[in-house]
Amino acid sequence: MIGVVAAQQVTVLRRQRTAAVVVSVLVGITVLAGVIGWSSAATITRVYDQAVLLLASQGRPAPPNPLGLKPPLSLLSNMTVYVPMVGALLAIVVGHLSLSDEQSSGSARLLHSRPLTRRAYLLGKLVAVSGLLAVALVASLVVAVVSLVVVNATFPSPSQLLRLVGFYGLSLLYLVIFALVAMVAVLLTRRRSMALLSALGAWLVVTFVVPQFISGLRPTASLNPLSVPVGTSQTFFDITSRVRFLSLSEVFKNASAQILATAPGEPLIVTLGRVVPLAVAALALVAAALVLVRRHDYSRSAADE
Amino acid sequence: MSRSTRVRTLAHHELRAATRSRLLVVLAAILVLVTVVSVYVGAVDYRSQIADYTAYLQAAAASGVTQLPPPPLRLLSLLRGAMEYLEIIGAVIGVALGYLSVTRERAGRTLALLRTRPVSVGELAAGNLLGASAVLGILLATTAVAAVLCLGVIGHGWVDTGQGVQLLLAYVAALLYLLTFYCLGVIATARSRVAANGLLVALAVWLGVVLVLPQIGDTLDADNQVPGGLFAALGLNLSGETAVLTHFALYENIRTGLEEISLAKHFERFAFAMTDIPNEYQGVSLGQLLAAKRNDIIWLLVGVVALGAGTLRALRRQPVTTGGQP
Repeated sequence: MIGVVAAQQVTVLRRQRTAAVVVSVLVGITVLAGVIGWSSAATITRVYDQAVLLLASQGRPAPPNPLGLKPPLSLLSNMTVYVPMVGALLAIVVGHLSLSDEQSSGSARLLHSRPLTRRAYLLGKLVAVSGLLAVALVASLVVAVVSLVVVNATFPSPSQLLRLVGFYGLSLLYLVIFALVAMVAVLLTRRRSMALLSALGAWLVVTFVVPQFISGLRPTASLNPLSVPVGTSQTFFDITSRVRFLSLSEVFKNASAQILATAPGEPLIVTLGRVVPLAVAALALVAAALVLVRRHDYSRSAADE
Repeated sequence: MSRSTRVRTLAHHELRAATRSRLLVVLAAILVLVTVVSVYVGAVDYRSQIADYTAYLQAAAASGVTQLPPPPLRLLSLLRGAMEYLEIIGAVIGVALGYLSVTRERAGRTLALLRTRPVSVGELAAGNLLGASAVLGILLATTAVAAVLCLGVIGHGWVDTGQGVQLLLAYVAALLYLLTFYCLGVIATARSRVAANGLLVALAVWLGVVLVLPQIGDTLDADNQVPGGLFAALGLNLSGETAVLTHFALYENIRTGLEEISLAKHFERFAFAMTDIPNEYQGVSLGQLLAAKRNDIIWLLVGVVALGAGTLRALRRQPVTTGGQP
């Protein structure tokens, strides 16, 4: 039954054109990240050429081109910002629609009069949502590889491809978390609009508020691919830094920087340890959704708008 | 009932309905909370400077020195984080308020009833905007009071009259900025048969204007291409940097242009200038400051007027019934 529910949900998302929008937007932001990366590389080279001329006129030797010192995958640094910003919002919308549409139209009541367990229903929805997000991320991966080939003029090495796959796997985990947040919000609230806005509120808290509490990062600092947390010499941040693993957006960005090798290296086990809070959050949300869907009263109409 | 009474009644309805929404209360609480934390984060950075300054004052007083330098702390600059929160979260609250305003009327089928009464679309729009201004004004006033108290208690400095005027102007700019996003929420939702799609469109615009455009502008800055600064990596000082950048006029124009079309950036520039954040505005009078920020003021005013007109147009064209669509 999980497969049937998932297939039906995928069909609905395709008919509503939501699937096309999600794939297009994720591909679009990947193209944007690629263009910015290409522009960055071109700017460094042009500035370097001008600097060489200037330094030569002053009789000074030119340093090596900084472009050669940049990590090959740094071209995609902006993706580590766009996934938590744009991708997470898309995931919230998809997760929200997957449960709220049937509540609003009243078809959920009909559906649950059939021999379909709540568990199979929810897992089917989750499979559909995760599948759509995975397809969108695979499309984004293909565009990322093309961007790398165009800018670096070489095909990525097997190790770089592996890193890219790892990054997109982590991105899928992160997006599924937000889809689950939206699903839990639908199951917790009566009004459809409140469910969507509550999920957006949770996204704002995770993306902007928690990093400020834990690492002293101002909201605009959250827009930078690499963020440096405030020092722990202050008592407040000495305390809050101990729960930095709770700052999911920072966890994602730091783990992504390690996987893409755009930050100073660390042992693999440490990087894997960084992913644990995200996996725990996803599992906790699945468990919460399973409990809530069992208790949810589908006889109540949610067509409030 | 006179025209002004009808508008006031509609505005009162908007205010009561919005304040009844618990989510907005929660969002307001979050805004106040993050203001407190952001001031604290700023204050601890300056704490050592304050301690040094206080020690110097005591030593100077003991030795009979009467000419004392001003304190190193620019008090209002502690509100940088609070202004950034208004720029990002405040805009979302504006969009949410606009969305809820339209969906509330649709859900309660009250729009159809309202339109049977002698209320013009213009009065309806004016009432909505006035009510939203009141809601946002209360929200901003609460945040401003929390900010002033935090500056006194955490930053150890109370706002004087001049600073109070600057702060007032910053929050008036915030009101215009949030109202623009309220109008965006109303327009997008009113033009959409399925309200959730309207919210999506409004959020997409918010994402582009508030997050993506300023981020692209920053990322494309030539000096930001390498950690630590590209020009520092090439061993160039300021004059060398200026000489090289003369070859990048078009590139810099495009980069600046991208930032220029972001309303969020204009609010940020004005609010930062009013809260003493940029070094170049130290010692500048308020009149000079306002003259320097004329462009940002114009953008904020044009934004709210244009989207206010769009709100009127969208409400006029809005279907009175949704045809059974959720």
